[in-house]
Order: sequence, then structure tokens, then C-alpha cells
Amino acid sequence: MKRDSDERGCGFLDNQTLLDYAAGNLEARRADLVREHSRTCSSCEALMVEQAAMWVELDCWVPEPVSDGFNRALWQRITDSETAPWYRRLLESMRSGGWRPAVSLAAGVAFVAVGFVFDHSVERTASPVASAVASGWGMTAVEADQVESSLEDIQLLRLIE
Amino acid sequence: MFELIDGRMIAFAGVGSAGIGGEADLDASLMLRVRDGDEECFRLLLNKHRIPVVNFLYRMVQDRAVAEELGQEVFLRIYRSRGSYEVSAKFTTWMFRIATHVALNNLRDNRPERAGRRVDEDAEGRARELPDRVPSTEQRMIERARLQQVRDAIGRLPEKQRAAVLMHKYEEMEYSQIAGVLECSESAVKSMLFRAYETLRARLSHMAMAGGAR
Repeated sequence: MKRDSDERGCGFLDNQTLLDYAAGNLEARRADLVREHSRTCSSCEALMVEQAAMWVELDCWVPEPVSDGFNRALWQRITDSETAPWYRRLLESMRSGGWRPAVSLAAGVAFVAVGFVFDHSVERTASPVASAVASGWGMTAVEADQVESSLEDIQLLRLIE
Repeated sequence: MFELIDGRMIAFAGVGSAGIGGEADLDASLMLRVRDGDEECFRLLLNKHRIPVVNFLYRMVQDRAVAEELGQEVFLRIYRSRGSYEVSAKFTTWMFRIATHVALNNLRDNRPERAGRRVDEDAEGRARELPDRVPSTEQRMIERARLQQVRDAIGRLPEKQRAAVLMHKYEEMEYSQIAGVLECSESAVKSMLFRAYETLRARLSHMAMAGGAR
């Protein structure tokens, strides 16, 4: 019985023995040992008296009887849930606490979706910027080629002159 | 092994290694029959466990109407999962695990709402009538105050400690079974219970002294 009771100043009663004794779950021989010990140990006796008194106090909480309509209401819920369409069953399971994993899953999906959209929007916005930079003042690649060939023509004419 | 229940002969199921070491579990046998489409066995389970489940939920959430609604939720979940039921633990351990999850979810979802409510009031805020067992008005008031203090002392325990105390004290469940419900070790349950009872001893010690003086 010696274990976690040093803090109480006696090495005899451990927590489980104390709980089991108060709950009446201790086998007769061990219960006799506890009783015998408590006659000579005031700290253990005080603890046992306190625990027993608390145990009795807790007995005063007697719940009211379950209402007569409990089974009927349950069968109604079972029938409703069995005949409900899938989306209502899903909503029902979300309402009854099953929404927690669903929310985690939805958050994960949303995170991936946002990442995907962001990634693609960067690509989409990158191409006009890149082409604008490449063409100088916002001209397209075709216009740049035309300007280049015109400049070459002018240069050729100058050489001929 | 067989047992006669409500005029029906029911064969016991042996509980596997995750359960209570080969001990026969009649409830698990009934649940296996529910899995095979026998609704009458579900009725037997419901009638057998309805009161302990609702009482446990009532003491957890301290509101009778909510406790009954949650109790229906527990049995609805049991019924819905009948198709995938396997005997891996004692039936009552599995059932109380569902009940504990349902209760803890409800407590977490309604935390701000509950904060300002007295524990002896129902959902509409009306004070609950207590069973009238003593004739004198004064005695009734004393009993009412005692009950209020017990409910308050238990209601202020951390949620898991509260669940452990309710299963140990009122449902008389063994440490191993409570450990199965709360998904922790048996030694963790013992120390959780000891801490909880220590708190309750301190909170209710004045009542014990008053009781001794009575």
C-alpha cells in the first residue's frame, strides 16, 4: 500500500487504496488492514474520514428520471436520418460535431486552392509585364520587328546614297 | 454462453485483446445482432443503457433537456455505426466514449453561454424543482443548498476530471474501463481521480463539517 502518500506524512495509504476504501471496492482483508492502521495514524484517519464524508455528500445528487418520450424521439430521429437526402445527412453530422474534421479538410482544400490560384495569377500577370519590358514602351513583338526592319531599310538607303 | 433477456436467448461475444481479456460481453453480442439487422436487439440495448447514459450526460452538462438530446445523439450514432461495428472493446466502454465526446463537444460549443448560468437552472434559466423528500421547508432549503454545492463543485472540475469522477462515482466503472473511455492509461486515470477527489474534498469539507454538526 506504500507509494504516493509520502506528501501526506504517512507511508501506508496510497491514493488508490484510499479511493477504493471509500468506494467500498477494497477486498475485506485489505479493508481490515486500512481500518487497523487508521486507529494508530491520525493523518490517515483524518484523510479517510474526509474522503468518506465527501463520498456521502456526492450521493445527494440524484438525477430526475428520463422522460417518457425519449425512445419515441430517438426513433423519430433515426427514421428522419435514414430517409433524409445525403446533403441533409452531411449537414446533420456536421451539426453534431462531425464538422470539426470537415472544417479541417475544407481549410486544407481552401489553402491548396488559394495557392493554386495565386500561382496561376502570378503566371498570368507575369506574361504581360514580361512582354511590356521586352518591347520597351508597351509595343507588341510584331511592332518591334517592323520598327527594326524599317531601321535596317533606312540604314541600307543611306549606304546606297 | 447464453443469457435470457426479455424472453430472448442471446449468445455472448468474447471480447478481443483490446477489450477486457476474453470476458464475455452480452452487449457486444446484442450489437453484433444489430449489425446483422436485428432492430429488436437495439431496443434491448437502448432500454438497458438509456438511463446511465442520460444521467452521465446530465451530470456533465447539468441541463436535463440538453442531456436527453445528447443521449439521443449517442444512440443515433451507435445505430448509424452498426454496419461497421467490430468487437474491439467492451460495449459500454465504446458507448461511454461516444457519450463523453458528445458531452465535451457540447460543453466546448456552449462555453460562453454557460459561463453566466447557475448550475441548477435549465436551458430557459428557470430554477429546477428538486425532489420533495423532506416535509420541512427549512430542511428542503438546506438540501437544496447541499445539492447546489455538490453540483457546483463537480461542475467546476476540469472536463476530463469531471467525466472520470462521474464514471467512477456514479456509474461505478472500473479504472481500466474509464481509461478505455478517456483513451489514456489506467495510472493516468487514477491520478486524475485522486486530484479530482482532492479538489472535491476541499470544496465540500465545510458541508461535511456542517453535516457532522447536524
